[in-house]
Amino acid sequence: MNFNQADKVQEYSLNGVPVGILVVNGNDRTCIPLVAGNTDYQAYLKWVAEGNTPLPAENE
Amino acid sequence: MPYGNINVDTVTTTTPGGILGGGNASLMKNRIINGAMVIDQRNAGASVTPTSGSYTLDRWYFSLAQTSKLTTQQNAGSVTPPIGFTNYLGITSQSSYTVGTNEFYSIVQTIEGYNIADLGWGTANAKTITVSFWVQSSLTGTFGGCLNNGGSRSYPFTYTISSANTWEQKSVTIAGDTSGTWGTTTGIGVQIWFNLGCGSTYSGTAGAWASANKVAPTGAVSVVGTSGATFYLTGVQFEIGSSATGFEYRIYGTELANCQRYYWKKAGQYPSANTTVGAGMLYSANDARACLANPVPMRIAPAITFSGSGFGFERPNTFLGTIGSPAAANYSPEASLIYSGSGTSSGTAGDATFWYITDNTSYIAVNSEL
Repeated sequence: MNFNQADKVQEYSLNGVPVGILVVNGNDRTCIPLVAGNTDYQAYLKWVAEGNTPLPAENE
Repeated sequence: MPYGNINVDTVTTTTPGGILGGGNASLMKNRIINGAMVIDQRNAGASVTPTSGSYTLDRWYFSLAQTSKLTTQQNAGSVTPPIGFTNYLGITSQSSYTVGTNEFYSIVQTIEGYNIADLGWGTANAKTITVSFWVQSSLTGTFGGCLNNGGSRSYPFTYTISSANTWEQKSVTIAGDTSGTWGTTTGIGVQIWFNLGCGSTYSGTAGAWASANKVAPTGAVSVVGTSGATFYLTGVQFEIGSSATGFEYRIYGTELANCQRYYWKKAGQYPSANTTVGAGMLYSANDARACLANPVPMRIAPAITFSGSGFGFERPNTFLGTIGSPAAANYSPEASLIYSGSGTSSGTAGDATFWYITDNTSYIAVNSEL
């Protein structure tokens, strides 16, 4: 997943519990679990480590 | 009634000239998934310009220093596949590009650790394997590839294409690696890289294991170096043993399920029908929640992409409400919760609902690739 092309990257919660990372890219909405072995989550952590900052968390 | 004991050392068949199991019959002999290049869930045979890390045909992804140097398509160029095959992975170079020192261009498959755990790599009992494949290129010469454990151990290898635009079957036998760390569970097991162009930093000596992150042999032909050059690949097999045996064909449904452990896609089929996604309930007046069940247990909890705007739900006495902001939660390898976030229709909390895809361009993609 290419985070640098995303319109929006933010952590999100459901019922007050953090459940994932939402990446909006054009007409695509990708929901990424907070699971270490998921390669999209690994890409998100790398994106943050490179100095990028997600938008403020959203709660449903 | 007892008949006594029978001691059997060998079971033979009455088939003339044959011994059961003496041919190529075995289960999961081939550790490559979609080696016959049959399954293309993402692109359904369309040509694409891949970005680095993107998958095209199932289980095969591109690792690229730059985008736009090549295109790929199932059965690109519409040549006749080798006998016994109906599909191949086709790559076409889009320019005459000189690969930079730190660059590489490759098509790769990562085999999950569970599927190579019996090889014993990283131990004194490491088993020898043989990689075989059919390849055709508009170029000739010494091509290359590499086995890699994900970054710290690698084995570059070469093979020769003698005749341009002609299918040739190649095999490479490699003594198992007795060093390094090789994954044996849900992470990376072995990566097999087919080189399309590589600079010196990631090129290494062919025919030897090295404690280095190499992805190609030194001096191999660069496909991206010639505009319009083609590279076609099929019948890829990775098997235990010191010689190549016949390709292990798999039942289509079995191979599709093998692919779906890593990726699956539910596409809209409207107007023939709304596509059923899952059943659930209204959590609140306009928040439709449902279960998205995976067709097979996936490698790990997947990421879920909702592409397009054609998502809706059905509830009692109202056919469809629009799902405004689809999202997922409670992920697991078996199933996840999907919810609407917001909608334009309202109902009563607790109403039963169905999720649908309501057009023929939207889809849900579920991804746990390595």
